[in-house]
Order: sequence, then structure tokens, then C-alpha cells
Amino acid sequence: MSLSSTSSHTMDKSITLPPDEIFRNLENAKRFAIDIGGSLTKLAYYSTVQHKVAKVRSFDHATKVNRDDKLYEISVQEEVTARLHFIKFENAYIETCLDFIKDHLVNTDTKVIKATGGGAHKFKELIERKLGLKVDKEDEMTCLIKGCNFVLRNIPHEAFVYAKHADSEFRFQTTQPDIFPYLLVNIGSGVSIVKVESEDKFERIGGSSIGGGTFWGLGALLTKTKRFDELLQLASKGQHTSVDMLVKDIYGGSYGSLGLTGDLIASSFGKSATADKEFSKEDMAKSLLHMISNDIGQLACLYAKLHNLSRVYFGGFFIRGHPVTMHTITYSINFFTKGEVQALFLRHEGYLGAIGAFLKGAEEDNPNQYSWGENYAGSSGLMSVSPDMNPMQRARSGTFDMLEMDRLERQLVNLPLLQDPSSYIPDTMDLTEDALAREYWLYCFEEALDGVVKRAVASQPDMPEAAQRAEKFRQKYRHKLQTLRQQPL
Amino acid sequence: MAECVRLDSSTSSHTMDKSITLPPDEIFRNLENAKRFAIDIGGSLTKLAYYSTVQHKVAKVRSFDHATKEAASDKLYEISVQEEVTARLHFIKFENAYIETCLDFIKDHLVNTDTKVIKATGGGAHKFKELIERKLGLKVDKEDEMTCLIKGCNFVLRNIPHEAFVYAKHADSEFRFQTTQPDIFPYLLVNIGSGVSIVKVESEDKFERIGGSSIGGGTFWGLGALLTKTKRFDELLQLASKGQHTSVDMLVKDIYGGSYGSLGLTGDLIASSFGKSATADKEFSKEDMAKSLLHMISNDIGQLACLYAKLHNLSRVYFGGFFIRGHPVTMHTITYSINFFTKGEVQALFLRHEGYLGAIGAFLKGAEEDNPNQYSWGENYAGSSGLMSVSPDMNPMQRARSGTFDMLEMDRLERQLVNLPLLQDPSSYIPDTMDLTEDALAREYWLYCFEEALDGVVKRAVASQPDMPEAAQRAEKFRQKYRHKLQTLRQQPFAYGSLTVRSLLDTREHCLNEFNFPDPYSKIKQKENDMALKYYQKAVKSLEELSWEQRQFALVRGVLAGNVFDWGAKAVSDVLESDPEFGFEEAKRQLEERPWLVDSYDQWFERLKGPPHKCALFFVDNSGVDIILGVMPFVRELLSRGTEVVLASNSGPALNDVTNGELQILTERIAAMDPVIQAGLREDRLMLVQSGSSSPCLDLSRLDKVLAMVVRERQTDLVIIEGMGRAIHTNYYAMLSCESLKMAVIKNSWLADRLGGKLFSVVFKYEVPAGKPSQHSAALSPL
Repeated sequence: MSLSSTSSHTMDKSITLPPDEIFRNLENAKRFAIDIGGSLTKLAYYSTVQHKVAKVRSFDHATKVNRDDKLYEISVQEEVTARLHFIKFENAYIETCLDFIKDHLVNTDTKVIKATGGGAHKFKELIERKLGLKVDKEDEMTCLIKGCNFVLRNIPHEAFVYAKHADSEFRFQTTQPDIFPYLLVNIGSGVSIVKVESEDKFERIGGSSIGGGTFWGLGALLTKTKRFDELLQLASKGQHTSVDMLVKDIYGGSYGSLGLTGDLIASSFGKSATADKEFSKEDMAKSLLHMISNDIGQLACLYAKLHNLSRVYFGGFFIRGHPVTMHTITYSINFFTKGEVQALFLRHEGYLGAIGAFLKGAEEDNPNQYSWGENYAGSSGLMSVSPDMNPMQRARSGTFDMLEMDRLERQLVNLPLLQDPSSYIPDTMDLTEDALAREYWLYCFEEALDGVVKRAVASQPDMPEAAQRAEKFRQKYRHKLQTLRQQPL
Repeated sequence: MAECVRLDSSTSSHTMDKSITLPPDEIFRNLENAKRFAIDIGGSLTKLAYYSTVQHKVAKVRSFDHATKEAASDKLYEISVQEEVTARLHFIKFENAYIETCLDFIKDHLVNTDTKVIKATGGGAHKFKELIERKLGLKVDKEDEMTCLIKGCNFVLRNIPHEAFVYAKHADSEFRFQTTQPDIFPYLLVNIGSGVSIVKVESEDKFERIGGSSIGGGTFWGLGALLTKTKRFDELLQLASKGQHTSVDMLVKDIYGGSYGSLGLTGDLIASSFGKSATADKEFSKEDMAKSLLHMISNDIGQLACLYAKLHNLSRVYFGGFFIRGHPVTMHTITYSINFFTKGEVQALFLRHEGYLGAIGAFLKGAEEDNPNQYSWGENYAGSSGLMSVSPDMNPMQRARSGTFDMLEMDRLERQLVNLPLLQDPSSYIPDTMDLTEDALAREYWLYCFEEALDGVVKRAVASQPDMPEAAQRAEKFRQKYRHKLQTLRQQPFAYGSLTVRSLLDTREHCLNEFNFPDPYSKIKQKENDMALKYYQKAVKSLEELSWEQRQFALVRGVLAGNVFDWGAKAVSDVLESDPEFGFEEAKRQLEERPWLVDSYDQWFERLKGPPHKCALFFVDNSGVDIILGVMPFVRELLSRGTEVVLASNSGPALNDVTNGELQILTERIAAMDPVIQAGLREDRLMLVQSGSSSPCLDLSRLDKVLAMVVRERQTDLVIIEGMGRAIHTNYYAMLSCESLKMAVIKNSWLADRLGGKLFSVVFKYEVPAGKPSQHSAALSPL
């Protein structure tokens, strides 16, 4: 399960971690990488997974006569495949997690852990002491880009467009056959704007000091609110028009000859220059959010135009899982490019650095040679929607988030006969966008669950614990269905 | 009076309030002759523009009627002072608080206008509309703000030399002025008011707002007020100039412990503005927060400006708006940002009269039927306040000036001015040899020099109008005004663009004109011309007797000796006044023997052996001996060689320089005595044109359009520039696309010292542009 509200309030630094759920398959872990950001740690490891596969085999013609009249033989075999595990947790849990890993690590011959992120050097000593592994630092930007390339290539529906007022907040993009070139706008404390041209070629073409740290820092000074999330909460409730000077505040309406509408912000915080009054925290936070989002959006557009790029992905803690900032950035991009460029976001944006660091360390295993698939059973879904819509979920920050990817046996490519691979959508109906259809099918799958469980147990008549496993399956799948009802994405 | 307001601002500014009585003769000058009005009302300042006709006295010369000549004295020509009407543009800037007082004042003094309308622009225009209409009885006609801004910008860029400047905080001179470009388009104008507008200007009438930002001056002010509880914009800038941004901003080294080498980010780069205030649990000083805010906003604007400039392939970017206006702090941060983002490829440019752009534009919109863009205009130094600010800390007294009045006046020039077509590279041409803004020693000397000479100039001015009893009083006013200008320039050498000997001379001429001394030297010139003419034939005859080789040298020595006669140079005016008999021959003896300080006579002589020039353009200098005994024989020789000659002289008087009017008469007289000159005139091989200037110096980028046309038509292949003002103070380094000859005698010991020579050293500089083989290699035998 993706850890839910029931477990979050019992968690603190001394929690006992549920091993089978969070650090899955740790005893078979081979390689580690860690990405320590300003507040969150992302741990990555690679494990070999033994699991059962059903095989079918033709009966030997010579012996066919002495068997019954079955067409072929069915056998269950153990198979070893590779899996990538990514876990995200707050920096506060880092020591607990390291202890847990140390206790459960059995079969590894790794001597090194790849590390990246601004916090890597701060925790270096702790990691080396706890795990007995040498911390090997990797360049942050290189890891980020590597990770980004990896998810874009391997996870279908990784990228999405955010539309606050649409039927479905998230509109997922189909995987493009060629992911390059693209622009990555990473909004951390500051902003880095990176042009990525190929697997190994990228360049930081620009940046800005007006980023997440500015929102947080100026917001804290203006509102005396110290937490980033709370600042966003304030912003989502505020009215920027009481602080900002609009075009109509100056000209009494639109400025037609220049094509400026009356509601356009002429001057951020322009009203607080002369008005002798108190402004609400909410309004100031909202104005600040608009100011920063618009500025970043404008810079991103200008750099995109200058370098002739149409795909622009946004990431970094300013964006990560915050519908408020995804909305303002999207708005800004639409405004400045008149729809020519779409603001794209990534489902697993928070893991990019960890994935990249891991890939750097695993280069000898050539992970890029394989195709990988997201394991839905082992992965938490995209977590947030508007904070007001589902306040329960906000409590989840403080918990663990996971992504697992299985190495596929065969490399997967497009059917060469597709007329337009970039617009091909396999699914006929998008249940994310069709609420009625979603209702029906979720209900349908829930109804069918009992039958599936029964069928599963019956398929293994000679295994006594099958019923117990089937029950676990039922719980897990039902939970997934419940999650999907709440968050269809 | 305005000058005092400006000078003694510390004493007068606190006595000013809304009920002040305005000193009419200084601030709203010539209001009784005002024709057209325009007003630009901004957030805090009002800019008023009007057009007036100015009557002023000009000295004219006229030949005596030959029939009545006997009756007159033996004077060569008649000098009369006439009234002339010219056009002048007035621009006045004051705080909005004074607007009512000013409107009342205007109403009371407006006499002769038949205007029914006042053009208005600026955000405040609609707020004050009713007040203006009620007070003035004029209909307020609103004009588009951006259109006015651009129109005004085009106008100052085209008409005011040294309008644009680069700001360099730590350089010898804070302001580095740019020379006027022959083509001002295309450019980017970044107007930083409450917000930011980024406008691409492609031609006089074509502009487009290609971008903008809501993070502008209002954001600095608004956020600054919230963060520091400081409500005044100026105070916020003051705070910022004292703060340390590093205590609030998160630097690259704060995150990575040093630089981020692989991305090329240095450790001191700001990674996150206000990044430290996100987590640090401490109080930040107002100064530090203001500084961080200033950096954040300036950097952002600079970055956007660079991106838009790159995207539209523009390299000239001008910044304006109240965020910039007269604030060295913001000019510095914007300049820094532009340098950072473009690595020096784009320069941040600022404008001296940036605050007036809207008013100028609104005025031009209203005056379109008068076709103001058809004329050339010149800044009147006498009626204009200079550029005001330096770093607020350096000169706190000046900050007190906001609260007073600032003025710009521009005179319509009689002639349209253009580049000399023979400039090698018009865009890099700088007329002035020495920039006194950047050279403190030279500045000290010349300011002292002009102050010393002031008494003599006043005396001369009074003497030039013996029959006018109030001349002494006017002359005294002139003295005060010019002395005050010199004092201002000592404090703010950049007040009118780059300070040069030329600008000091021009300012003096403007001030003399202002007090109706149009030509203090007219009588002296007349007398000297008279005397010199008597020697003309004798001088020509003695030259004729020389061999060809000897004559060529004697002609050059004649021009040089003639040039010793110059009232503009102090060393000489002393001699001339004490010993009027100082003769031509004596002057020749005073001349330095060869080799001269700069001596390319041999090359010139070799060249003379070659084929004659097609046409020579000769910029002449002084009246009297110089023009008559020095230049004319030289011209005569050129004509004899088969070279056409264009004599270019000043349109208006300056010192004892010969004016075009005087030269017409002199040439006629000489022609009557000399068949060569007569034939030249008759056959149109000798032509007199005016330069378009009234300066003792010479700006080859602002010459009369007719002159430029003649030069082109006649395929001029030789330019001769004579005299210290035209060939040394200016144009010493000017590169021409044809052969050129610069001749002067250095009549100032300080300058001689500077150039490594001594008093009366000779500069004889003959230059052939690179790539053009000296034509004597054609080896045609002379004559």
C-alpha cells in the first residue's frame, strides 16, 4: 500500500519500518544511489527478483500416447529478473532508514553508493559510517538529466499537462518516439534552464535567481509564515488584485493600442508602494506566487524560442506535486506563448536525481539497453490534487513514496506501420476524462474481484498457502481501485 | 530665479511650497510668445512643453551701396543689428505638487496664443484633465503614452548630440557619452515605470511592444515598502545602496561550498534571491533586504531585455522610466546585469533627457503640421539645466533638487544638419579631441582658462554696443550666467554630455546670444578686414615673384601666420589688444621653424607635383589677416592649378571667426582686385557655402545639408581644415575618406605642452586615407 492516513500519525523518527512494504526485496539489493535535496531524500537500488512464471510446453511426441489428451504441459518456474526501486522520504527519516538498510542488507558486494543533490555532502559522513559504503558524489545536473531521459523513455504517460478547470486536472502525454530535444526548467531555490539535445548532451542555457527560494524567503518575510506548504496554502486563498497594480488601475481599462487587457498585472506589488494600508497574508502570498511563476514562465518561453524548442518540462521542489504552482506556471506559459508551447510536468519528477545517480553507477549494466516498465503493484501513484480538495492527503508528506520498475525481457519499440507514432494512443477510452465510464469500470472491476480471487486459488490446488496469498492480492488490488476512485491519475 | 534654485538648492528648496511665486523670466521663459502646449503627467512629475517664437538680435553685414560709397566712411561694409524670429522648444519638469501654481502662472502670462488645445499624455493626464481645462481654458487632447514616448525618444536621439550614455560607476568618468549615430534605428527601449515595457523601434513611425514584465519599479517600491516600512522610493534606493545582498540572498557557494564549475557558475553568483530568509530564523536589516530586492529586480529586467534583444537581433538597448531616471544606483545594477547576461555584447544605454520623452512626443504629435522633424534642433545650453545626479552619497546636496524645476530648451536651427559625406566612418566619428569629462587635469585647466577669459569677454561685449546704455547691465547678467555654468560644470562635468573645449565655447556663445550680444566682435572684424584688404594685392604680388617651389611653402606659411591672428586664444588676444600693429610679417617671424611639431609638408609638397585635385573643401577660421592674407592666396593657387574650391564658413558669428555673410562681401572685394578670384566666382569654380554652425569649433557630423550636397556633387577629394578650434580641439583625429590637410598654430601654451610642443608650434597634418595611393606616384610633371 502506499502509506495512508492511518500510518502517518504514528510515524516518527523511531518508527519501525514495515520492511516488506517500503524497502522491498532489500536482501537482494545490489547497487545503491541516493539523492538528498533540501528536504527530501530519494534512495534508489537495484535488486534481482525471483518470481514464479507459468510456462507451457508441448508434450514430447514420443511419449504423447501414454499421457492424457491434453495439448500441452503447464509448469510453474522460478525466474530471476531485475527491478529498480526508488523510495522518497523526508530528510528527518534518513538515519532510521540507513539503520534499517544496514540491518537488512545481506547479499550485496557493493562498496560504493552514488550520491547527488545539495544535501549529499552534508550527510556524507553519516552515510559512510552507517552503511560502510563509500559515498561517490555525482554531478547534480547530469543526474537530473539522465533521470529525466530515463523516465521519458520508459514510463508511458510520464509527462502531463495541468489544467485546473478541466474535467481532468491532468492530461497525460503519449510517449514520443524521440524525446529530444527538450527544455528542462528546474525550479529549486533558484531556477536552472537546461537544453537537452541527446542522451549525453545538455547545456545550462540560462537560469534565474528568482525561484522557489525567493517565494519561500520573501513569503516568510512578508507573512511570517515559515513553511513552504503553508505559504502555498495562503497563496491559494489570496486575491492578487488587492496588491498588484493592474493595467486598468493605471489606464482605467485596457490599453488597447498595445494589446494589454485591463486585468493584466502591470506592476507586481504596485499597490503596496503607495497605499497606506495593511495587506492580508493570503493576498501578498498570492501576488508573490504570480510574480514568480509569471517570471519563470516568461524566461522559459524566451529561452525556448531562442533555442527553437517546443517541449518544456518543469520540475524542482517549487513544482513537485503542487497544483497551485503547476497552475500558475501553466497559465504563464499559455499567456506568453499564446498556446504555442505547453508547460509539461512529470509524474516522477522528484525521482529524477536519484534515478540519474543510480544510472551513473549502473552504467556497466547498461540499463539504457533495456526497456523498463513501471510496476504498478510496487509504486505509489501521483499524490496530490488541489490541497483544498483533499486535505487528508496533505498529511502524507511525512510518509514514504515509492516507484518500482521492472526490467522487461525484450526491448520494446513502435510498430513500424503506425501512421503517426507521435499521435498514437492505444486506449480507446480515457477513463480519467470520462467520469461516468470511470465509475462503471471501477465498479465492474471491483465486482469481478471475488471471481478473480476464486480463480487464483483454484489455479494452485496443490499449494496450501494459495488462499492466503490470494487474500493479500484482493486487499492490494481493492486498495488500488479505491485509490484510483479518489485519484483517477 | 531658476539658476539660483538650482545652485543654492539647499537654501531655497525648503522655502518652496505650493504657494511659491514663480520667477517668470527664468522658468517659463518667453511664455508670452508661446504657441502650442503639451503636458505629460507622470506618477510624481509633470513635464510641460511649449513652443515659442523667440525674437533675438542678429548682426548682419551689408555692402555699402556703391553709389553712395563716397558719402560713407572708408569702411568696407555696414553692420546692422536686426531682430530675427526663430523657434524654440521649452520643456519644464516639476513635481506634481506645483501643477496648480504652474497652471495659474501660465494662464496669467499667456498673451498671444491662439491655441485651443493642449496635448496630454502620461498616467496622470486623466486625473488632472478637469483642472487643466478649467485653469487654462484649453481642451485637453489625450495622446497615446507609448507613441509619445517613442516619438520623443527618436527626437532626442536624432537632435541632441551626446544624448545617450553608458554608465560606469567605477570609471574615471561615471558617464560615457555616445556619439550621435547617423542611423538611430532599430533599437530597443526598455521603459521601467511601475512595470516594464520592452519596445522595439524600427523607424520613425513603426514600433512594437514586444514584451514586458510586471516586475518593475513599482515592485521595488511596493515590496520594499512592505519589507522595510520605508515609504519613499528615494529612501529605498538609499537603503539599498548601503546594504549587503549576500546576507539575504543564497549564493552558489552557499549551496555547493564553492563554484559549480561544470555549469560555469561562480560561487558568488546569486542562486536564489532571498533564499536565506526562507529558513534562517533571524532578522534581516532593511538595508540588506532593499539591496537584495534591487538586485533581484535589476537582474531580472536586464535578463529579459537581453533575451528580447537577442530574439530580435538588436544591439542598442536604451533604458528609461522612473526606476532609472537620474538614479546612479539603478543605472549601475542594470548595467551590471546587462554585462553579465550578454558578456559585453550589448551595452546598457541611458538618455540625458529621458524624463522629457513623453512631453516631447506629445508636443510633436500636436505640432505635426509644423513639421518639426523636418528641421534640425540644437540644445540651448543657456536655457537648459544639465544632467543632475551623481551617486547620492557623493553629492547629497543635489538630491535636494528634486522639488525644484528642471529645464530643457531647444532652438530650431535655420538649416538642416547632416554628416559630411567624406567621413570615413560616420558611426565612430568623434569631433572632440579631448574629453574633459574623463581628463580631470585638462578639465581643471580649461575651466580655469574660460573663467579667466570671462572679464575680457564681458568688456568686449560692452564695447561692442557703445550706443546702448544698458549693455553693461546685460553684460553683467551674461557674466553671472556663464560663470554659474562653469561652476556647475566643475561639479558635474557631464551636465551637458561630454565636456569639451567645444562645449565650453558653444555654451559661451549661447549665453552671449541669450543677453543680446549676438556678435561682440563685429566691429573688430570689420576693422581687421578693412586693414587686411589693403595689403592683399601686395601680398599676392610678392608671392607671384617666387619660384613655384618657394611659393608653395610661402602659401602654407601665410595660412599659418594668418592663423596667429585669433581673438579666441588668450595669448594672442593679449598681444592684439596691447599692440594693434602686430603685423603679418611679425607673425611669420613668430612661427616655429621646420621641422614643425607635426610636419608632413614634404608629402604635401610631393603631392602638389602630381595632378590637381578635383575639388577642395576649405573650412576657414578667422576674419582679417587670416582669411584675406593667409587663406585667399592659398585658394587662388588652388584655382590656378585647376582645382575647384568650396569655402565653408560659419553661418552665425562666433568670436572673430569670419561668417558666411562677411565672407561674401570680402570675396566680392577681392574679386574686384584679382582676376583669378573673379574668374573663379564667375565660372563657379569658387563657391562660398555656410557650415551651418555658429561655433569656433567644427562638428563634421552636423553640417549644413547644402554643404553636404555640394561636396558630393563636386566630387570633393581634398578637405582643408584650418585653425586651433577646428583642427586641434576638434577633428585632430578625424579620419576622412579623401585627402585632408589640417593646419593650425598652437596659441595656448598648456595645449602646446600637452602635445609636446611650445607656444606657436605648428601642426601641419597632411593625410591620405589608407588604400588610396598618394597620387603623385602617377609621376605627372607639375605645371
